[in-house]
Order: sequence, then structure tokens, then C-alpha cells
Amino acid sequence: MSTKTYKKSENQIAGELSDKMTIYQDCMNTFNELPVNAKRCRILISRLLRLLANGETFPESEATALFFSVSKLFQHQDDSLRQMVYLAIKELSSISDDVLMATSSIMKDIQNGSNLVKPNAIRSLTYVLDESTAFSAERLLKSAVVNKHPAVSSAALCTSYHLLPISETTIKRFSNEAQEAIVDLKQFPHSSMDNSEFYPNSTFISQYHALGLVYQLKKNDKMSLLKLVRQFAEANTLKNQLAKVQLVKLVNDLIHRDPQLFTQFQSLLDNWLTNKYESVQLETAKLITSFSINNSHLVSQELYISAINTLRSLLTVPRVTTRFAALRVLNRISINNPEKIMVCNPELESLINDSNRNISTYAITTLLKTGNAKNISSLVSTITKFIHEVSDDFKIIIIDAVRTLSLNFPQEWKSIVKFLIDVLKNGEGGLKFKNSIIEAIIDIVSFIPQSKELVLDNLCDFIEDCEYNEILVRVLHLLGKEGPFTSKPSLYVRHIYNRVVLENSIIRSAAVISLSKFALTKNDPTLKDSIVSLLRRIANDQDDEVRDRATIALELINASENKHSLVAEQLIQSKYYYDLNSLENKLTNYMSANDDSFKTPFDVSSIRKFTEDEVKAMKLKKKQQQAVGNNVENTKDAVVPGTKQTDNRIDNDTYQGANLQEHQEDLLETKYADELLSIEQFKEFGNLINSSKPIPLTEPEAEFVVHAVKHLFKDHVVFQFNVSNTLTNVVLDKVTVACSSEGDNQLEELFTLPIDRLLPNTEAACYVAYKKDEAFAMEGFINILHFTTRELDPETNEPFENDEGFDDEYEIDPIYLTAGDYVKSSFTGNFENTFAELPSEDVAVYNIKEDLSLQEITDKLILNTSCLPVSNTQFAPNDTNSHTLKLFGKSVFNGSKVALVVKMIKSSKGIALKAQGRGEDATLCADLVNNLM
Amino acid sequence: MSGLSLYSVQSILILDSQGNRIYAKYYQPPPNVLGHNQHAAFTSFRENELFSSLKKQEDFEKRLIKKTHKQDSEVMLFENKLVFYREYIDLTIYLIGDPNENEIILQTSFNALKNSLELILNNGIDKKNVQENYDMVLLTIDEIVDNGIILETDSQTIASRVSKPPTNDNQLPLDFDKGLLGAWGFAKSKLQERLQQGL
Repeated sequence: MSTKTYKKSENQIAGELSDKMTIYQDCMNTFNELPVNAKRCRILISRLLRLLANGETFPESEATALFFSVSKLFQHQDDSLRQMVYLAIKELSSISDDVLMATSSIMKDIQNGSNLVKPNAIRSLTYVLDESTAFSAERLLKSAVVNKHPAVSSAALCTSYHLLPISETTIKRFSNEAQEAIVDLKQFPHSSMDNSEFYPNSTFISQYHALGLVYQLKKNDKMSLLKLVRQFAEANTLKNQLAKVQLVKLVNDLIHRDPQLFTQFQSLLDNWLTNKYESVQLETAKLITSFSINNSHLVSQELYISAINTLRSLLTVPRVTTRFAALRVLNRISINNPEKIMVCNPELESLINDSNRNISTYAITTLLKTGNAKNISSLVSTITKFIHEVSDDFKIIIIDAVRTLSLNFPQEWKSIVKFLIDVLKNGEGGLKFKNSIIEAIIDIVSFIPQSKELVLDNLCDFIEDCEYNEILVRVLHLLGKEGPFTSKPSLYVRHIYNRVVLENSIIRSAAVISLSKFALTKNDPTLKDSIVSLLRRIANDQDDEVRDRATIALELINASENKHSLVAEQLIQSKYYYDLNSLENKLTNYMSANDDSFKTPFDVSSIRKFTEDEVKAMKLKKKQQQAVGNNVENTKDAVVPGTKQTDNRIDNDTYQGANLQEHQEDLLETKYADELLSIEQFKEFGNLINSSKPIPLTEPEAEFVVHAVKHLFKDHVVFQFNVSNTLTNVVLDKVTVACSSEGDNQLEELFTLPIDRLLPNTEAACYVAYKKDEAFAMEGFINILHFTTRELDPETNEPFENDEGFDDEYEIDPIYLTAGDYVKSSFTGNFENTFAELPSEDVAVYNIKEDLSLQEITDKLILNTSCLPVSNTQFAPNDTNSHTLKLFGKSVFNGSKVALVVKMIKSSKGIALKAQGRGEDATLCADLVNNLM
Repeated sequence: MSGLSLYSVQSILILDSQGNRIYAKYYQPPPNVLGHNQHAAFTSFRENELFSSLKKQEDFEKRLIKKTHKQDSEVMLFENKLVFYREYIDLTIYLIGDPNENEIILQTSFNALKNSLELILNNGIDKKNVQENYDMVLLTIDEIVDNGIILETDSQTIASRVSKPPTNDNQLPLDFDKGLLGAWGFAKSKLQERLQQGL
């Protein structure tokens, strides 16, 4: 090879890669050359790997050929070439056939290779072995695990770990050796790397690998895991920090399996909080704080406080990652227990100006959550300075945090509104950012009525100079909705009409709708004439949509002259909102059915309507759950949001997932209601008034899984039992549920609709209908599932002809019709006033002996009463022994209001509750108060 | 729960300043040892989804470089992953891990990556150097993370396990006699010099 061509090939690697085929050809030629040119081969392999790293791939035949040629290079003894060969084998094994042929060469290296290539050889085993050949490596791996050289031992442990899913039995055979490897502190031999300029330090990381492997082998054996923790926790046998963190995680695993174990680990955890490694401190603090979300009664106050203190000290270290990690944990705590981390506020405040924007944003959002009535205004002024300096993403996060803050501290609305208006007018930012501000403002207007006028005035100013159509339209809508009910509606009319004069057709149309709403203003009857004349002028607009809308509006306003006609009021200032899911569903059905080319008009009366307060209540409830939702992911069968908490910690970014689930829950509800109403027998009951959420009546893993839904009609109650058959070869015929009343018979059973046949792996509904005499009948029912089982013929998938089947029954949990079923959540802006105004009052006292935390009681109360927790009382503080919960709801029948104030005091004997209820309907109020638990 | 699985690193990337790949590796651990709780299995299923095709990977890399270019924050949460990065003159090195993993552990591993590359690449970390010594870079990364498991965290140890390329094209037989004699002669003359100076 001349110097020239040699140089050329040398340069190629630096710049652009040559194309795939050239490299392939080069590799094939050079690898098969004899004698082997080690240097050139190593260059070519690295070039090939660069190609693969760039995402190129080879067809199977070519990859196999390459693999074959590469494995020929084993003939050459040079270790530095060999290391590259192993890399190539690892990469190529996934795309080529016959990888087994390299096994014998690899095994030879494991036995006789130098200490340099041995680990590489061992680690490549993962890629060439499969289920049938894994056993052949058993002896080699076993001796490598106990090898004194740390790199060899680590390689063998990792390989065993990778091989677990392929052949667990093989790996299990040397679990003793793996366990020894945890204790064995392997040092690098002094003369090991003669040929290298670097001197290895012994980090004992093979302890980490060994511990990880041993855990996987014993993960089903709680006792031996406990032994493992005891063995390594006390004595100072674990030197590696990764291994120590792994041990903390092991404790975490154990206490999540059995929370009672926590007490015996307390002192150990306390020690770990002051461990010399920050990673161990962090992991321990994570463990304690996340464990206490569900098991606060098991975690002692002192331990929790020292966990917080550890985090607090981590906030001040110079290392970015440590601060970041500690902040993440604190941020997570702030969602549920902001009061616990108030001690960290000074540190958090100093982090606002951290050079890492992630950290400063986390610090601010955490501070916003820990904020109390006293420091909000100073906080808000701090962010005002800060917000202009960060990117849009961070701005949105901050605005969201401010929004939650405003809902939690409604009394502080003034400074928050000032801040929001300021960033809205002066902040630089894209549509997404501005939209999030508008959303926050809309929330404030709807949940904090006092703020209305100030906000609307400022929004009027803002729309004079706004570049985004979307935002303008939303603001116009808000003005139209809220404006007519303010003290000086004429002011808004002027601003809205300005838009008609100055803006494009999209905004003009929105402005027309908005204007028309002012025509029916009660506060200022003179406005009507002005609006009419304005609309007449608009009716000559050049855009047809604008003209149409103006004409319709004029027509409706004229109709309102007639006092008996409600059309105008219903259409212009609608007080009701349709259940959109159900509406969409029905409309789709209507469109697709098309029986008589749309001669029968679409019937909207069957669709559920909500009043504004109800919609607000639903929104608020969702928002409250959303706040918790960051920590709580509802499990599939969790009907009790907030009580069945899984321990998944999800960061804000993933929240969309849960939202989707919520949406599906909504759809499910609509679906059940639709199914029910389509059944002939139920038509005479009239309109469906309320349905509960599905309640599980069996264990989720039972053979027959049953969920019940309670449907309320005016004089009737229908229980819907959704039965699913999880067996694979049995059908259930004539499935019924026999409900027998527990107490006095307030309800009169009418009929049962059985499921005729329930095929395997399907779900169907069985209904039981009752007539109720009293408005608020309450009763408990013991339920037994009756059915005839018949075996399926696997060939025809029909039951055997001569199989008579035999009758069977299956007991499921009882179902209760409670006062809460007659109530739905509703919103009130000023709970205290509403409460004082309600006429009838009832008081009841409860003593609860069970060992429950205040939060658990609170969750239970919210669920039982189906009321909306207001004034941010849905979170019970963990550090005091008393809490007051405020609940508000309305009767499902006539919308009469009911409000509850529940005071709870926790003592060593249990929890004492004093419930004070007030309502417009005395019976409902009394029923609710007396049936809290 | 921050699972007990050893598979803590999801990906190691080296991208140039336009977001093009210099090196990219997405680790795909075997599916059924992901830890025993369903959630772990669920997220990593989604993770695999996210990185399942070359197109998705490259889109991810483009979004990543947009987010990190000229933003020296070292660590962040990005699309529900922990991302550790360091921007050099014309390239950025990334290490991406599970959001529930101990941040400091991942940082340790990332430091190992940075420091050992600094040791291996004598002339500093830049695009040209990485491409010229691609074999050493590959071996270094291979010694740091083994299919998602953190293998070693000490940069000296890692560097000591990375072999230099073979020096000669053709193996020249070494003349041992000459070499030893030469050394002896050199030592003798040096010793004499010293003795003379001392006297």
C-alpha cells in the first residue's frame, strides 16, 4: 500500500463516512485477508460501527456475512483488535443469523484470554446465547463471578443479569456465588494494566451488580430479602455508593410490600439520612417522604423532619444535580403537604436566581405551593421580575402554579390578578403562553366572583391591542357571559363594539354574539335599544357570517318582547350546558342511523343538562384531582380517587395520560346511561336523574368480576350489575343478582332483567329495578349472583348439547343506597354566607375507632357525601390533629342546596367528628348529616 | 417506586451542534426483568415506543438539541426523562435515564463518561477528535454502560481498560538482544556522567 492511499483511508474516518456498500466491501476484503492487518481491521470495524450508530442497517444475509468475517479475526492474538471484535459482535448479533458460531471462540477467551479481553468476552455472551445454549456457559460464568479481578466479576454479574429472562434456572444455580460477590471487596491487582498509562481505582462496583442480581433471584422471598438488608445495613460491608443506594431501594421495596415493616427500619433510615454519600441521603429522603403519603401514621414526626432537613441541606450544595434532585422531591411534597416544607423557604428563595433555569422554575413553583396568605404578595412580586427572563415553557409552568395558588387562596386574588394582567399586557411570549394566562384569568373570574369587575375592565384594555384571534375570541366570550351581570354593563358594550369596527370577520362574529347577550341585561334596560341599533348597523356587514349572526340575534331580541316566550332567554343567555360527551355520541348515532332522511328532528331532551354551578363544581373537582393527580395515578378499578393511591411518582409532563383516562370514565358513564335508557322497561320511569360511578363488588381478580352502578329516577331506583366472565371455557346462562334488603323495606322490588347468556371474556349488564316511596330512601342490599354454568365445546364455541348445566351462586359485596346518592357537587363562591343563609340545620357526632388518618377520613367523607370540598379543605394537614372540612352540594331532584361543616379531632382513642349540616331541604340535610359514615 | 432494576441508563448520545448524530445508542433491556411492579413495565413499554424507530429517535434528538443548545444547565427533565448533558465546542454529550432513578447516581455515571473521554482524547473533546478516535470512544462507552447497566464509574479505571489501536501495520519482530544491549549502554553512559559530575 503506498503512502498516498494509506493517508486517504486514514482521512476518511475523520470527515464524512464513505457509503455503506464501500465500507461493506472493504470490511469483507480486509477481514478475510491473511495475514491479518490488525490496525486496518480495527479502523474498519470502528467505521462499520459508526455506520450502524448512524442508524444504517444491513440486510440479514450481508449482516451474517459480516458477522462471519469478523469472527474470523479471533485468529489474531492482538488484544486491542479483539476488544473491537467484541464490539462488532455485539452490534451485529441483533441483525444477523447464526450468531452461535462465535460462542466457542468467545468461551476460549473467557478461559484463557488476558485480563483485558476477558470482561469483553464475557459481556458478549449475552448476545450469542439463547435459551437452549445458556446452560453451557454456567460453569464459566460461575467461576468468573468469583474471580478476584473486579472487571471480570462485574462483567459476569451483568451478563447473568441480562440472561435472567432467557434462562433463569441456569443463573439460579450460582446464586450462592453471587451472594458472596456482594461481600467480596475486589481490588485491582497492582500490576494488572502494565500496558496502560492509567491506574485503575477500586470502586467495588461489583457489589452493586451482585446486589442487583441477587435481588432479582430472591425477589419473591420476603424473608431472605429482609435477611439481606440486615446483613448489609449494619456492618460496613458495602463500600460502593451505587450498592448502598440499591440497598435503600431494597428497603423501599420491602416496606411497600408490608408497610408494618417500616417501624423496624426507622433507626436505619435515620442513619442513612446522614450518610456520607449524597445519593444515599437523597434516596432515603425520597423513600421516607413518598412512603408517608400513604402511611403517614407509621412515619414518626422526627424522622420526617430529619428527612426534610436532609433535603434542605442538599439544596445548598454546589453540585447542580444534587440541588435539582432535592428540589424535585420537595416539589413533589409541596403538592400534598406544602406546610411541611415551609422550613425550606429561605433556601428556596435563594434558588430563584439559580443559573440553572430548571432549578429556578422548580424553586418558584414549589414556593408558590408553600405560599401562605402572608407571603403571597411578596412572592408574586418576585416572580414578576423573574418571569420576563425565562423561556416560554417555564413561563407556562409558572402561570399554572399561580393559577393553582389563586384557587387555594381566593382572598389573595388582587395581587394575583395584578400579576397576571401585567404579564398579559407586558410579557413577551407566544400564543401558548398568553393562552395559559387567559385560562388562569378565566378560572379566577369563575371561581372568585369578587374579582369579576377588575378583571373584565383590564381585559377590555387588553383586547384593544391583541394580536391573537384565539385569545380575542375567548375574551369576547367571557365579556359576553359575565358582563351583563356587572354594575355598569354599558362600559363593556363600547369596548366590544370597537372590535366590530376594527377587527377581522372572525372577531366581528364573536363580538356580535357577545353584544347580543347584553340586550337582555336586567341591570340596565335602556341598553336594549342601543344594542338593537348597533346590531342593525352590523346587519349590513360585508361578511356573511357576521350578517347572519346579527340577524339571528335581532330576531331573538324581538321575540323576547313577548313575555311568555322563553326562546330568547334560553338561546341568548343559556343557563344550561349539555353533557357534551353524550351529545356528541347521540349526534353521531343520529347522523349514522339516518332512518328517514332526517325528517324526525334530533331530540335533545334526552341529553343530560348541567347548570352553571354544576359545571363549575365538576371543573373544580377535576382541578383538585389534577393537583393530587401528579402524585396519584388512579388504578384501573379505583373508584375512589384520592384513596387508592399507587406509589408512582409522575412528573407534571405525563399528566395527559391520566386526563385521557378521566375522559374515558366520562364516556363510560354516558354509555351506561344510554344503554339503560334504550331498554323498554325503563322508559316509563321518566328521565334519569343521577348515576353513580361504578363500584366494584368483587376482588378485581375474582372469576366473575362485578361492578354496580346506581341509577336514580324520580320514583325508582335501578341497580345495574356489570358482570364479566373471566373464565375461558364456561358460559353463564340466566345470570341474575338477587338483592335482599338488609333492613326495613323502603323499596319495593319491581323486576329483574337477567343476562341470558354470558360468554367467556365478555361483560354484560343485569338490572334490578325498585320503586321507592320516599324521596330519599336509603337502604343496604346483600347481593348474591345466581347463574347456570355450562361448559363450552371448544370446537363449536357453543355449550355441549346434552349439558344441562348446574345452578350456582356466588356471593358479592353488598350495595348501599345512601344520602350521598341524592346529592351532586355544586360550587359556591362564598361558602360562609351561603351556609348562614340556609334554613334548616342538623348536627351529628361520630366516633371512629379505626386507625385512619385525617386525610383518609376526609377522602371518605367527600366520596360518601358526593359533595364538593370548598375553600381548599380537601387536604387535611398531617401535622395537626384537627381539621375542618367544608362541603357543598345540591339535591339531584330539585337542586336545593345543602352545605356541611365537618370538624374532626384526632386523639389516641380515635377520631371524633362533629358534622353540622344546613340545607334548604330538611329531610335531605338530616339524612346526609346522619349518614356520613 | 424507583424500581430495583439495574437498567438505569436509557441512552447515550453524542450529537453535533446541528443535532446530527456522531454517536447514538438506545439501550433496550429485555422486557420481563424490568422490575416487578406494573408501572415500571408500563413506562418502559412506552419508552420503547418512543425510541422504537430510527425516525422517532432522530426526532427526539432534534428536539433535544433545540432544548439544550446554548443552555448550560447540566441536568433537566425532558419529555419525562432525566437528561444529563454537557455542551462542548461543536458537540454535546448526553446521558438519558429513567425519571425515577437516583439523579446523583446517573450524574456519577455521566461524570465517568465525560472524564474518561477527556482522558482518552488527549486533545480535548471536539467533533474531529471524536471521529478520529472513534474506536476508543466506542470502547470507552462500552466500558461505562453495558446494555443499560452502569458498569463502572471511575474514569481512570475505565480509561485503563480501553486499548490503544495497534501501532504497527505489520508485526515487526523485535530484536531483543539489540534492545537490551542498547539499554545497558545507555544506562552505563548516564551513570558515568553522573559519577563524573558528582566527583
